[in-house]
Amino acid sequence: MALLDLPLKRKLAKQDQPEDALTGTPVSRFSRHLILCLVGLVMLYPLMWLISSSMKPSNDIFRQLGLWPENWDFSNYAQGWTALDQPFHVYLINSMIVVIFSIVGNIFSCALAAYAFARMEFTGRKLFFALMLGTLMLPGHVLLVPQYIIFSQLGWLDTYLPLIVPNFMATNAFFIFLMVQFMKSLPKELDDAAQIDGCGPFRTFVRVILPLCVPAMATTAIFTFISTWNEFFGPLLYIQNQDLYTVPLALRAFMDSEGQSMWGPMFAMSVVSIAPIIGFFIAGQKYLINGIATTGLK
Amino acid sequence: MSVLIKQPSGAAPAAAAAGGKQRIRPSRRRKQRSGYLFLLPWFLGMLFTVIPFFASLYLAFTDYNLFTEPNFVGLANFQAMFEDPRLIQSLKVTFIYTFVSVPISLAVALLVALVLNRGLQGLSIYRSVYYLPSLLGGSVAIVMLWRYIFGNDGIVNGFLGLFGIQGPAWVTDPQFSLSTLIVLNVWTFGSPMVIFLAGLRQVPGMYYEAASIDGASKWRQFRSITLPLISPIIFFNLIMQLIGSFQTFTQGYVMSGGTGGPADSTLFYNLYLYQKGFTEFEMGYASAMAWLLLMIIAIFTAINFIASKFWVFYDN
Amino acid sequence: MKKTASTPIPRRLVLGAAVVAAGLALSACGGGGATSSGSGGNVELNFVFWGDANRAKMTEAALRIFEKKNPGITVKTEYQDSAPYADKLATRFAGGNPPDVLAMANRSLLEYAQRGTLADLKSFPELNLDKVPETTLSRGEVDGKLYGLATGVTTIGMVVNKTITDQAGVTIPDDKTWSWEDYAKFATEVTQKTGGKVYGAGYDVATETGPIILARQRGEDFYTKDNKLGVSEKTIEDWFQYSVDLRKSGGYPPAGFFEQIGGSPAQSYLAKGTVASQIIPINNFRGYNEAVEGEVVLLRIPGETTGERRGYSADPTMLWSIAAKSKHPKEAAKLVDFLTNDAEGAAEVLTQRGVPINPEVADAITPKLSADDKTFVDMMASIQEDDLPPAYVYPKGASVVADTLKQLTTEVEFGRVSPADAAKTFMEKSNAAINK
Repeated sequence: MALLDLPLKRKLAKQDQPEDALTGTPVSRFSRHLILCLVGLVMLYPLMWLISSSMKPSNDIFRQLGLWPENWDFSNYAQGWTALDQPFHVYLINSMIVVIFSIVGNIFSCALAAYAFARMEFTGRKLFFALMLGTLMLPGHVLLVPQYIIFSQLGWLDTYLPLIVPNFMATNAFFIFLMVQFMKSLPKELDDAAQIDGCGPFRTFVRVILPLCVPAMATTAIFTFISTWNEFFGPLLYIQNQDLYTVPLALRAFMDSEGQSMWGPMFAMSVVSIAPIIGFFIAGQKYLINGIATTGLK
Repeated sequence: MSVLIKQPSGAAPAAAAAGGKQRIRPSRRRKQRSGYLFLLPWFLGMLFTVIPFFASLYLAFTDYNLFTEPNFVGLANFQAMFEDPRLIQSLKVTFIYTFVSVPISLAVALLVALVLNRGLQGLSIYRSVYYLPSLLGGSVAIVMLWRYIFGNDGIVNGFLGLFGIQGPAWVTDPQFSLSTLIVLNVWTFGSPMVIFLAGLRQVPGMYYEAASIDGASKWRQFRSITLPLISPIIFFNLIMQLIGSFQTFTQGYVMSGGTGGPADSTLFYNLYLYQKGFTEFEMGYASAMAWLLLMIIAIFTAINFIASKFWVFYDN
Repeated sequence: MKKTASTPIPRRLVLGAAVVAAGLALSACGGGGATSSGSGGNVELNFVFWGDANRAKMTEAALRIFEKKNPGITVKTEYQDSAPYADKLATRFAGGNPPDVLAMANRSLLEYAQRGTLADLKSFPELNLDKVPETTLSRGEVDGKLYGLATGVTTIGMVVNKTITDQAGVTIPDDKTWSWEDYAKFATEVTQKTGGKVYGAGYDVATETGPIILARQRGEDFYTKDNKLGVSEKTIEDWFQYSVDLRKSGGYPPAGFFEQIGGSPAQSYLAKGTVASQIIPINNFRGYNEAVEGEVVLLRIPGETTGERRGYSADPTMLWSIAAKSKHPKEAAKLVDFLTNDAEGAAEVLTQRGVPINPEVADAITPKLSADDKTFVDMMASIQEDDLPPAYVYPKGASVVADTLKQLTTEVEFGRVSPADAAKTFMEKSNAAINK
């Protein structure tokens, strides 16, 4: 599929260009800004309402629907923190564990595979590459039942292994593809220079290519963080023990047990659970946006 | 684990030159081995993908329920599926959700991208603001929030009330519950929008300049320049969004508390699959369901690919 | 330029392996949890039940007494609301990691028992069943084996917020003789006299305990002795039609009003003051009285004397079961024995799960009961004074019947299907599920 074809580096450069000359009349620009601001407000309103509700006393939340709390109540956070079996930081830590291992696994295995596809020669490379791309479009649910059975036979149910181990097996074609594109844009001269120095493929990989792939790895890390932090289905399926709950499961348990009246604490914990995502987003927007733009354009 | 032997100095065995393709030289073999070595995790991953792939095909023809040995039952599962009103309902729900929210979402994404594309101050801020929701849309926290926003005392009905409109019981009325999730999906238009934006920026400005010199209207420019040139991107977004939305699970689960209610109006296909396979443990049936969905997705993707010949324009 | 020596085992692979190993180690620590027996002979039992935070607190207090009396056994509990509890329980059994002792719903007992997942409670010498009346035991027996032991008995009743009705100037009819029509009239009157601020009736149409009593009042057995569906289509249609009429007359809130069903008394609509009456399991009476501002009275279900026969029965609130694959069956049996026969433990839980089935224990705790609890215990006693019709174990497929009822209730509520059609569908689906 020959889509508009530009190597990633040139694209990155383009994104950092100063914006195109302002077009249109001031009036049209103003009206565009107006529309965009309105849309932006509507988009963000739910989030703002969530945050503001988390600081209102529970009874006020649906009584006083405005954004600015009439009565401030920060105890929601303290209450929500201890409302479940374990203090909330246990669940935050659980999620962190799963996320960190997933990130490490992804970067490790996808970088290795990407290097093989991008730089190495071996029989079947084209075939395997096509196969890998194919798995990008494979709906994962079809593998669900047998994978569950495998994990159950291995005795891995109720542990984090089913969530973490697949990441070490380069099962995310998206990231492999991202890295392949990135590596392809690195000049071959680097490889040659390394080889002349006597580096085997592995040394070349570790010493030369990998350090240059930091943007791609950062993108992988951020995307992995966000999708793993939010992940609900996997943990729902594999984790029974409440102590091992990740944040999404803990939130849902909250809703099940107290969701009909303790809105304040529940919203407070919701804010806590999406805060890391918002944080990573603000810090790593560049990588995120370039990342998906790349795959789209490929 | 093979030890990588250092290359002899002044290397470059121009092996390929003298009929090297027939015989695999030692260095070539070495390269092969390292290649495979690097791919080792991926090979494991493929094993872990391919085996379950065929295993689930096999299971679809059995009555496996995790407790007892699987018995071959032929097409019984598929037959049962066609007579299962909840399955048909789940297909209905998934289809309605997909074919309403995806077009709207893409249209909004394109529209906003177009507005943003014309050299505006603060473009990156707008872009970020619109993109953020798409990162949060699938999270439990947001779906829960949505449930309360659309609740009887929530801000949606409160807002409608300002205009004297009595809003319906969004969450408990089977007629409206799915719409809340459709709205949620549209709310996450930021992701395809970013892709559109990147694509729009690659349309060379000179086309537009030339066109306006020729006196073409904005609309004409859009139709004849923009649309064809970004059609591959529209196509890409369409396919990815379709595939994704056919597999919706979390939103349906959290909105309905896992039941797919009220009255199965939010019973997404994957949610029903989950119920069948993992709460009732009819794994044979669930596998059959998985394969049916796979085929549906494949068919729609194929249709899209075929149709793309008519409207997607590649500049080669 | 130095020629590099041959590369040892690539660093990255070592790092990767270490990470995986660490992950395994961590998971082993994390996943051990529930059923691990630690060193030194300490047995940890995993005990699950549904309920709210209040019930959990009282249960924990009782468990501490159990642990004191049984050094070497600790009990770890988990609880949820009843709907997610059912799902989670199923998943745990299937995952091969069942709890040791669990609360079992009436409607699920037969399914679990027939799948062989529960232990026969009669097989444990540690569990003393001598004091339990035979009629109570029979509610958990399948083919002569005891798979579930009633945690307590209760039945349903109507709670009415007397403060609201007094303010509205509505008299509450005599609950020993009122009919369903009387109730409808009463509810409508309340809504009218409060100007629509409070709806007279807020009972849940979707719970099968209502139709079960209605059926019995009409001489039918909802679930028959031979595990079949015995209620008539007409009865179900009348049950739906009644709610439709009541909604029309204003006595029942409009469609979509109830966003949440279930939860604790504090979260109920009665507590919120938007409805004046609800049907509750009467062992929860105290919780409601405390949660509601004002005085709440406990009444019998309508129609007890106007139908063919009494509709009431003494039902197990839920049952205690022990998993067949429990790793510590003896200790689990000790726990169930404690919950059933120990007066000290019962004094902590009181009547949270119904009137204790061991009459000696019930007598022992009566002085400790608050006024509200005494109210329900007395009501229980007075209901049982008359001869009640028998009641049987819920058949397999009972959970499908319950779900079908819930489904159809929503459809009827929003006018998408008529009560007559809903009843027809109910009969078809329920019979199919039960006779499968």
